[in-house]
Amino acid sequence: MATDALWYKDAVIYELHVRAFYDADGDGVGEFRGLTLKLEYLQELGVSAIWLLPFYPSPLRDDGYDISDYTGIHPAYGTIDDFRMFLDEAHRRNIRVITELVLNHTSDQHPWFQEARSSRDNPRRDWYVWSDTIERYKKARIIFTDTELSNWAWDPVSKSYYWHRFFSHQPDLNYDNPVVREAIWGVMKFWFEMGVDGLRLDAVPYLVEREDTACENLPETHDVLKFLRSRVDAHFPGKMLLAEANQWPREVREYFGDGDECQMAFHFPLMPRMFMAIKLEDRKPIVDILQQTPDIPGNCQWGIFLRNHDELTLEMVTDEERDYMYDEFAREMRAKINVGIRRRLAPLMEGDRRRIELMNGLLMSMPGSPIIYYGDEIGMGDNIYLGDRNGVRTPMQWNGGWNAGFSGADPEQLYSPIISNPVYGYQAVNAESQRRYDHSLLSWMKRLIGLRKKTRALGRGTMELLAPPNHHVIAYMRALGGERILVVGNLSSQAQAAELDLRQWKGSIPIEMSGGNLFPPIGDLPYLLTLGSYEFYWFRLRRL
Amino acid sequence: MAGREGVPAGSQLPEASTISEEFLRQLTAVGEVDILVGVPTFNNRDTIERVVSALQVGLTKYFQRERCVLINPDGGSTDGTPEIFKNASVRDFGLLLTSNPLRTFHRVSAPYHGIPGKETALRTLFTAADLLRAKACAIVSPDSLSITPEWVDSLIRPIYRENFDFVAPVYQRRKFDGLLVRGLVSPVVAALYGCKIRELVGPDWGLSGRLACHFLGKDVWEEDITTFGLEVWMTTTAIVDGFRICESFLGPKIQAAKQYGQDVAGTVRQVVGALFRCLDTHEEFWKTRGAPEALPLYGFPYDVALEPIPFSKRGIMDTFRAQVDQLMPILESILTPQTLVEIRNMERLSTREFDYPSELWVKTIYEFAAAHHRSVINRDHLLQALPPLYRGWVSSFVFRNQKADAANIDQKLEALGHDFENLKSYLIDRWSAEAGGER
Repeated sequence: MATDALWYKDAVIYELHVRAFYDADGDGVGEFRGLTLKLEYLQELGVSAIWLLPFYPSPLRDDGYDISDYTGIHPAYGTIDDFRMFLDEAHRRNIRVITELVLNHTSDQHPWFQEARSSRDNPRRDWYVWSDTIERYKKARIIFTDTELSNWAWDPVSKSYYWHRFFSHQPDLNYDNPVVREAIWGVMKFWFEMGVDGLRLDAVPYLVEREDTACENLPETHDVLKFLRSRVDAHFPGKMLLAEANQWPREVREYFGDGDECQMAFHFPLMPRMFMAIKLEDRKPIVDILQQTPDIPGNCQWGIFLRNHDELTLEMVTDEERDYMYDEFAREMRAKINVGIRRRLAPLMEGDRRRIELMNGLLMSMPGSPIIYYGDEIGMGDNIYLGDRNGVRTPMQWNGGWNAGFSGADPEQLYSPIISNPVYGYQAVNAESQRRYDHSLLSWMKRLIGLRKKTRALGRGTMELLAPPNHHVIAYMRALGGERILVVGNLSSQAQAAELDLRQWKGSIPIEMSGGNLFPPIGDLPYLLTLGSYEFYWFRLRRL
Repeated sequence: MAGREGVPAGSQLPEASTISEEFLRQLTAVGEVDILVGVPTFNNRDTIERVVSALQVGLTKYFQRERCVLINPDGGSTDGTPEIFKNASVRDFGLLLTSNPLRTFHRVSAPYHGIPGKETALRTLFTAADLLRAKACAIVSPDSLSITPEWVDSLIRPIYRENFDFVAPVYQRRKFDGLLVRGLVSPVVAALYGCKIRELVGPDWGLSGRLACHFLGKDVWEEDITTFGLEVWMTTTAIVDGFRICESFLGPKIQAAKQYGQDVAGTVRQVVGALFRCLDTHEEFWKTRGAPEALPLYGFPYDVALEPIPFSKRGIMDTFRAQVDQLMPILESILTPQTLVEIRNMERLSTREFDYPSELWVKTIYEFAAAHHRSVINRDHLLQALPPLYRGWVSSFVFRNQKADAANIDQKLEALGHDFENLKSYLIDRWSAEAGGER
């Protein structure tokens, strides 16, 4: 693998669950051996990193985010050797691997918790956060509002309450205890030594609690991250930490520190605003949030995405914006969960190829490293009738045959039903048929990813928002050194004309990047572009 | 460009004479809208910022999801009004009990082409509504001191959500305010057109996009009626052409003193002249119209204490007598002998005794209307004879009711309205009387 320490700034990341990708052994559940067999597909797609959802031993009451062994592999997914083989094969294809570090909490089945709860005197007691009453930390909000009534759960074994910001079976670790920090460092060391390239730090804002606070984003949390990062830099330079902090940009900014905490962090607030903008047919939501996004250290990078394994979160929007999103994107009550919408990209875009392309075109050109959720490259659908967020975690649709080519098992044996409706079902939407055609969404995504990877300015460049009078059109310039990329997108369902003030680039020739065709040179007058419904352009500006 | 429903495409194409190129460029950038709010201006620097802020908050609060635009056709202000319009902004929506807007807030300001005046400004707004395919429009006066964000809801909601076409405002008036409208224009329209609109001349309105296009498509824009009596024409046209009309309560009407203005006589001539011309045009309609019906009233009416309009009695009677004497030869051509006798008798009354009875006032107006219709004399001369009589009636009304409160005033005016209704047949008889015959 190339040894660029800032590799993550150019990365195109593909998020997947090993369980959902490919089942090689026919037991109905995907595993690492199956995933390894599908690395060729991912290499062809062009992604440069894979982010794996949790694959550790777990009772699976939260889809693997309830971990009972940090350094094992869940037997359903294979063995540690299977994982090593996958890692090696991925690296051989120049694909890096990012895994999960669920450091805020464990499963209540984790041996650490089993010991901690066994007695108030147990040495691991202080590894978790205990209380005799529920009166502590009253200002902390409940995150899983659909299922939890409190952040405290009663432990009948030790007859006291334990703190959990997520499900009650996920007790929070106590980061005020230095032993816990060392234990977590031990976990990180294990995976980095094996060759994992990055760790997504799940639920990182909630590591530390303090009275009279919201128990989120506390300074002490950042101390923990600085501690861990300093160890990473000392022992594993070039490895990346990705913060999952669903907060406002100015608060997420803190998770970069001075370049001494996480190298990457998800830009959560941008995502719903992209959906809002395309529905409103108005660039305002995107422009507003980008204008509120602070600069980050030069060695850091935003992680941007359209959808992921969770609900489309609406925590970081106003009440009116949330109502609007529900009204427009979640007309069926079942589509709502917690504070979000559990749908995939294609159904959210009503199966409209133009809108799907536009959203991806913006994703791949905005500041940050784009993250594609598995299946969205072929326009997979979802199943809102499955519980929790499982409707967006259905088996990958490889072909129109038995079990969508995912598994040779009996259909009833699959870990999840396959999407089978006439619109998004596997016979209509699958990778194999899309591979055959140049005009398919999959083929288009490959070309887009290819363009993205060839264009360093999109990963590492600055961004300057332009303000054409037509608010239906979003336009911005990405620049790195002498490279200038002009992105123009029509958020409207109707054709639009936009006049762009490009005078500062007068004399440059815009070259449309997908076709390579020259557009008229930029002069003194406003640069007039007309765009069809949901159309977008990437132009490379060339000076002769 | 697609036509509005029921109206052929192309018949509403904007006249190049009102829409400037800059205006058109700005409209092009806005695109299709759901709601258009127009604020025509001419030297309104003292009030325009507040008006714009109120409208912006109102649109954000009540129509947050709709595509809205605020349009300012300016008649050539020299005091910086358009710049203030463009730059007025709301700093903290939260303090104004609303959230930040979801959408881009569009503001278009440009001078319009043509003769500066209400007619050109409104025609520009109607053209913009047509081009932008606005579903609902509001026209707001730039010098309203009593405007609140709720006016946006009051003027737009009946159109946007309830499918009305025309929203006439209802204001809480100061005592004796607006007597030309309340004592003449509105009761005539109610009695003859069968539609009780309290405020016939706005200046704040709501109208549907289809009504705006309908107005635009009328062949009257070069005529005097739209220059001098546009509001009366708009209202009566909406009634006659079958558009759904309602009223909406806006609260107190307090406006900045006009920097330019017409004297009362001029206003009377213009407004009443427009009314009379409308009667000519709509003769077939109003002659067969039944008793007036009240319109739906939106909003929550309330009263606040308002200072009455100051009224000076001094010299009123002398002026009345002098002017009536002077105009007697003209009045003899207009009024019936009986009416003339009663007016002469009024002249002889002392200030204390002076009384212009309601029935006499109604007959005066109806005889003027009929005479105007029959063009017994030059119409301009005819209209010039009305203001002194109007002043006389106002004086009488004010003298007789100076101790009455606003509610009582309203009742008196309501009773006057009934008099206009009861004497409709009198007008119809006068309307068709032979020239030179019994007057």
